Amino acid sequence: MDNPKYISVYFDDEDPMREAVKKLLAGRETIIDVLTPFPVHGIDRLLSIRRSRIPVGGFIFGILGAAFAFGFMTWVFTVSYPLIFGGKPFFAAPSFIPITFEVTVLFSGLAMAFAFLIRSKLKPDSRFNSPDERITDDRFVILVDAANGATPEKIGAVLSGIRTLEIKA
Amino acid sequence: MEEQFIFRKQYRNILIIIMAAALLIVLTVMIASGTGASRIWANILLNNQFFLGIALGAAFFVAVNRVALSGWHTVLQRLPDSMTAFIPVAFVLMLIMYFGMNSIYHWSHYEGYDEILEGKKAWLNVPFFFIRLIFYFTGWIALTWLMRKNTESLMVSSDLKYHNRRKIFAGIYLVFFGITVSASSWDWIMSLEPHWYSTIFGWYVLIGMFVTSLAFLIIFAWFLKRAGYLPQLRDDHIHDLSILLFAFSVFWSYEWYAEYFLIWYGHLPEETSYYITRLDDHKLLFYLNLVINFLVPFFGLIRVRSKRNLSWAALVAAVVLIGHWIDYWLMIMPGAAGEEAAIGIPEISMTLLYAGLFIFVVFRSLARGPLVVKNDPFLEESLSYES
Amino acid sequence: MFQSPLRQTLITGKKSYRDVTRQILSPMVNKAGKFWYLGITLSGGAMMFGLFMIFWTIWQGIGTWGENRTVGWALEITTFVWWIGIGHAGTFISAILLLFRQRWRNSINRSAEAMTLIAVACAALFPLIHLGRPLLTFFIFPYPNTRLLWVNFNSPLVWDVFAISTYFTISLVFWYVGLIPDIATLRDKLMSGIKKNVYNFLSFSWKGSARDWHRHEILSIMLAAIATPLVLSVHSIVSMDFATSILPGWHTTIFPPYFVAGAIFSGFAMVLTLLIIARKAMGLEDFITVEHIENMNKILIATGSIVGLAYLTELFISWYSGVEYEQFALMNRMTGPYWWAYWIMIICNVGSAQILWIKKLRRNLWFTFFLSIVINIGMWFERFVIIVISLHRDFLTSSWTMYKPTIVEYGLLIGTLGIFFTVFFIFIRVFPVISIFEVKSILKTENAFSGGKEINHG
Repeated sequence: MDNPKYISVYFDDEDPMREAVKKLLAGRETIIDVLTPFPVHGIDRLLSIRRSRIPVGGFIFGILGAAFAFGFMTWVFTVSYPLIFGGKPFFAAPSFIPITFEVTVLFSGLAMAFAFLIRSKLKPDSRFNSPDERITDDRFVILVDAANGATPEKIGAVLSGIRTLEIKA
Repeated sequence: MEEQFIFRKQYRNILIIIMAAALLIVLTVMIASGTGASRIWANILLNNQFFLGIALGAAFFVAVNRVALSGWHTVLQRLPDSMTAFIPVAFVLMLIMYFGMNSIYHWSHYEGYDEILEGKKAWLNVPFFFIRLIFYFTGWIALTWLMRKNTESLMVSSDLKYHNRRKIFAGIYLVFFGITVSASSWDWIMSLEPHWYSTIFGWYVLIGMFVTSLAFLIIFAWFLKRAGYLPQLRDDHIHDLSILLFAFSVFWSYEWYAEYFLIWYGHLPEETSYYITRLDDHKLLFYLNLVINFLVPFFGLIRVRSKRNLSWAALVAAVVLIGHWIDYWLMIMPGAAGEEAAIGIPEISMTLLYAGLFIFVVFRSLARGPLVVKNDPFLEESLSYES
Repeated sequence: MFQSPLRQTLITGKKSYRDVTRQILSPMVNKAGKFWYLGITLSGGAMMFGLFMIFWTIWQGIGTWGENRTVGWALEITTFVWWIGIGHAGTFISAILLLFRQRWRNSINRSAEAMTLIAVACAALFPLIHLGRPLLTFFIFPYPNTRLLWVNFNSPLVWDVFAISTYFTISLVFWYVGLIPDIATLRDKLMSGIKKNVYNFLSFSWKGSARDWHRHEILSIMLAAIATPLVLSVHSIVSMDFATSILPGWHTTIFPPYFVAGAIFSGFAMVLTLLIIARKAMGLEDFITVEHIENMNKILIATGSIVGLAYLTELFISWYSGVEYEQFALMNRMTGPYWWAYWIMIICNVGSAQILWIKKLRRNLWFTFFLSIVINIGMWFERFVIIVISLHRDFLTSSWTMYKPTIVEYGLLIGTLGIFFTVFFIFIRVFPVISIFEVKSILKTENAFSGGKEINHG
């Protein structure tokens, strides 16, 4: 087929794949993506994937949750309907801590989880088709951009010496 | 690998000068201003506790890692080992407390009839107090010495039996440590307020000990690296030490909160008396304690980058050490010195005296062997550790 | 990264990635065996009995229980705290062991986390049914209402609501996020049909992209980082149900960390109970080895010793306090009419933890299984001792009375056990019991690693 979008290079082990990524980058090929059955150590660094900022989002939302919970309880017990419970002062700050903490964790966790799903564009779709069903089993795939004249044969030449399984368009 | 720490004359001299100057200041202030005996003895107790805690916590660190079969700490195990060398010195210093008993422990001498203290007489009496003291220290010294000796054997021989023996002593130490730190904290600190009690107190002190020893360990590592030692200690190891300091500072805060909050909520006079003294007379220090020991390590070490930077971690650790000194101060001084409780020249000079002594003993112990235990079966793992 | 030869390998059998996928997915792909049908029938029966007892409680009222004015809380809150405690092991394994970089958690964290979710759900049942008027449950949620009343945020019972719902939500999120790649594996293994469509839907279009993995790893660590203080806080808040009172035996500052240690203790015991059966019945001995069992036993020693230390502390301080009510509360526990419950607790919790110092016993699967059940019984009795014995004889001697549980209450306990095991049986046929991608990520190192003595499959 002419004008394929990408060329897939298959491996059955992570070490040859890592070698291949290094060689392809050295050969100035554009790697669209790397698909693996589990997170492979070191790939992030090779592909220059910037450290995700999900933790920052979690931190911010956590602070928001803390402020919201503590603020709300303060308002309830000092402005809205002050009641004396067990002789405690209206602004019973130590008592507010347990709920404040729980809401902090809740906001932080949910924010990070949603950030992950949104950033990775993961959503439930019962008609999703995986690029190759063996990726989640035991195949490691590098997707190379076919735009600037790369062909399976050319890639094969670049990767000579590394154990690949298949190179197809 | 055969690198050894050299306790240079330069360090020796600086430490001796600091100790001598501090001792001079303490004596001068004592005589000149007529500071009450209780304040001086309270200071001795405070520093005894603080530095003993660092030493015991260091042994706890090593023991836990041994029993959990952790490999990463192996490259720096000689540091906490040398910190435990202070325990026999602390023993002697605690024995000296005998002369100060009446000044700070009100249960050891009281006029009239105090129903509550009468009830506690079976436990709170001077002879039993010292029998227990000797028991605690015997166990601590014996077990830490046994652990250290087997490590020393591993420096020359590669027989695994020394490694296995260390594990057994580590397990025994952990059980003994848990029980004796609880009991010793009741004896030495909680009884300063003999009408008061709190079941979490022993665990609160225990965690404080662990945190201070971690903090000191980080500063120790920083010092050695700056002096050019331990090239094998990498960011990966520091990362894990920082994680521990971060996590256990949060855990310490949790225990602080558990004690404070439950007493606040129950509002029982026999329990709240402890906090009322501290909140009435020492409000600033009380809240400073929490800020320094929770907020500083939490925000200071929350980022991965901060955890991997030894200089930054050492700075945070130094602040945490000061913070926990303040924590011990709050536990001990109001009960022991009462009206005279303050932070002034006697406190600072006494602490400098003890710090100098502690560092002196630790350096001497560290210099007694190679910095890295080359026959430790987990060493290779530690050297190639990635985190 | 080098591994010391003193360590044992965590995955035996020199498997390939394909073997791992196939072995772990087989319960979902293949038909169930006799054992599964037998198990789910038994637990289903217990569940039905329990559901009927719940109906009976709501229909006839709380009078069908044995509580009285003196002993206002008994079996139900005991079982509630017991279940929450059991749930804590899952989060400990998923979160805390991840933060401590313990690779042996990789093959046990999925089922442990599932166990947490089911345990928390079983526990959450009790606050719902123990209300005198369950129709008014909505009172507990803070929303602007015409009664112009807010919920009492100062009450530990309200903190419980927040704590348990947060705990359930975050555990669910953590569990599910880890499950997504494995559901994708399952989706790809299935050919077609409704099953495939369902799993396709649940897999959130996961394709194994490196960027997705990167975010996934970071998310897992961050969720672990917030789940850790969450675990501590949830059981501390549950302990505050008691500790914020002024009752002797309840009002004591050690409760929060003591309860947390006890929770992890009983939770690990339950994980061991489940996994020792599951690994044999599902043929997963290569993934859940004797090493894993021994490591879990070591955690039992640690947490059990902390619990034992708490018992010693309470014993000493109740005398030391000089408060006659505290002293009586403890004497009543040890020598009063419920003395047998106290001593069951001591023998089951302290004895069991300390006997595990013997290495041979730690590595013996039969003994571990037996001990795990003993520990769970002991921890149930611990809550019973704390709650019922402290309540039945407090300040006013004329109010002293005894508590006798009714059949309805026993039914609730049996029923929750039934629900727990039934849902767990369903779980093992619907989702992978072991985290496939996490096991694969350590497979290579474990296969190459040839350390340790002969592996005993037990």
